[in-house]
Amino acid sequence: MRSVPPADSNAPKAERRFAWLRNPAFRIMRTTAFRVTLLHLGLTLLGTAVLSVVAWWATTGFAAQQVADEVVRDMGVLQRAARLGGAASVAVSVQARLAADRSGTEYYVLTAPDGARIAGNLAEAPSLRGWHTLRLKGGATGPETSLLALGEPLPDGSFIIVARDLAPVRELEARLLGAAGWVGGGALLIGLLGGIVMGRGVVLRAARMEAALAAVEAGEISRRVPAREGGDEFDRLATRINATLDRLQALMDTVRQVTDDIAHDLRTPLSRLRQRLEAALRTAPQGEPEQEAPWRETIEGALADCDRILGIFAALLRIAQVESGARRAAFKRFDLTAVAETVAEVYAPAAEEREQRLETRLQPGLAAWGDPELITQMLANLLENAVVHGRQGGSILLSLAPGPNGGAVLEVADDGPGIPEAERERVLRRFHRLDAARSRPGSGLGLALVAAVAELHGIHLSLGDNKPGLRVRLEIPPP
Amino acid sequence: MKILLVEDDAETASYVAKGLTEAGHVVDRAADGREGLFLAGAGSHDVLVVDRMLPHLDGLGLVRALRAMGVRTPALILTARAGVGDRVEGLEAGADDYLAKPFAFAELLARINALARRPPLQAEPTVLRVADLEMDLLKRTVTRAGRRIELQPREFRLLEYLMRRQGEVLTRTMLLEGVWDFHFDPKTSVVETHISRLRAKVDKGFGVELIHTVRGAGYAIRAPG
Repeated sequence: MRSVPPADSNAPKAERRFAWLRNPAFRIMRTTAFRVTLLHLGLTLLGTAVLSVVAWWATTGFAAQQVADEVVRDMGVLQRAARLGGAASVAVSVQARLAADRSGTEYYVLTAPDGARIAGNLAEAPSLRGWHTLRLKGGATGPETSLLALGEPLPDGSFIIVARDLAPVRELEARLLGAAGWVGGGALLIGLLGGIVMGRGVVLRAARMEAALAAVEAGEISRRVPAREGGDEFDRLATRINATLDRLQALMDTVRQVTDDIAHDLRTPLSRLRQRLEAALRTAPQGEPEQEAPWRETIEGALADCDRILGIFAALLRIAQVESGARRAAFKRFDLTAVAETVAEVYAPAAEEREQRLETRLQPGLAAWGDPELITQMLANLLENAVVHGRQGGSILLSLAPGPNGGAVLEVADDGPGIPEAERERVLRRFHRLDAARSRPGSGLGLALVAAVAELHGIHLSLGDNKPGLRVRLEIPPP
Repeated sequence: MKILLVEDDAETASYVAKGLTEAGHVVDRAADGREGLFLAGAGSHDVLVVDRMLPHLDGLGLVRALRAMGVRTPALILTARAGVGDRVEGLEAGADDYLAKPFAFAELLARINALARRPPLQAEPTVLRVADLEMDLLKRTVTRAGRRIELQPREFRLLEYLMRRQGEVLTRTMLLEGVWDFHFDPKTSVVETHISRLRAKVDKGFGVELIHTVRGAGYAIRAPG
């Protein structure tokens, strides 16, 4: 039996917090494809970032090293010049180098032991030994630039600083940053597009499988899920689903076949038995009334037994047929109120016979989706139960009211002995009868058929306490 | 009445044929669908009784073929299958009535008579009359011997159904199907209680009974004599 989903107000907090996810606009977010795309995108971006950082380190480190190497090389040359020709020779060399430097990235300064600037293009001349970085305002290449500088004393006591503009390294860094941005953006775009394309494919295939299975559930049992020979995991899954459906169909066919066979093979001899009894009754020898009457009574009793067997049999076959779900193909929209009215009309005199008051409260114009013939029989069985098991001289209420989501709620309540709570599940099974009811007419199949019809129609059936009596509640889904 | 019986089960066929003959009808028999189609094709029968499961051509196919040929003879399908959809399928094939096996012979006889008497389409009567009982279908009133009888709508419907088929035997299942569209057999005696309530209003105190119980078969409304 289908259980009703909890009403929103009773829903757990977490469920309510994510209620917006159920909005159709966010439905795509609930697909696996979307999540996979998101994950894929995150991994792509992470990969790109790692790649960029490594490239950055390798490239800019190499460029800075090259600058440092140049500085060291220049320093070596100038030191040699100092050893050979003293500070004057260094000054000439510096001048020559500056004249030859077209890129404008070379900086030198030579100071005398007394601190006086001898040569070079740097205004300041700090006597810092070793490596350091100098800030240069208004340099040749821009408003402010930083220099990599190496300062060392010369043998004669003067001090030389060799420096290189780091602007080319900084530019390389800027370009690398730009490139990383482009690569990241590109990866994002390609990942997103790829994700959408792949996701769409997955969503479409899942939707096709879902549609096929929904058709099967609706009674189109021969429908199959699309599957390609030797395809991917989806196709393998589809093949497996189809195999399961084949098996299901084979089982249903077997049930139908067995049912038909029973119907034919058992009903035929029973029919003949019935025919013979009837014929015997028709051709009764016209003898003495005292002899004929008991004879006639026996045969009529046998006929009644025969009909009872056939009746139980017909009820069992009908329940089996309803449970097979084959009737779903013939579902249609029908007037539920009219069906309830007719059934109430049919049972009204039977209730009056037991001095019961049959009251109806039927909301006009309620429709349902299903098999009106089966719904009629379901209601008839419920009213019949109420009339037979209800209290003599009591009252029976048949009510039909609008239910949640455009559905309907139908209730049949009596004020008889009711059904103990522990028995309520069991009375819906075939042949189960309460001990108290064994003396009354019935086969124990009435409620089993009610349960089968309810299940077929997605109706939620519940047996409750009417205090006193039985209250049967049917929650009927909207048409 | 001339009746064609198409039934492959020899025992059932002879039982039905014997009963129908005793009831004063002339019965032709066919044991399979093709033979049945050949005999029925002449259009000389009043009613066809056709088993659904037949060799060569099944009952539904036979009726469908006859209707396609333009033969309008009323047909009753007999079947061992009494599934929910089977009756509708039978009627859609062009059959006029459907009876599940096993059946009481009286049921079959009543249904055959009802089929044969199905009146040709004519002007709808506005007043139905059985002896001194009168039903005005426009004013929705019933009188007997000039005295007004107050009926509930459900009693009116049942009486109307009986009066439209006056003289015919109507079985319980025919009433359930015809009046309330019930296509199954209720366990409680709902028809009996309806009839007895109707009788209490229509017959009680009028001396002559119009609603008759036909033993082992059903009910009929008819004028005395």
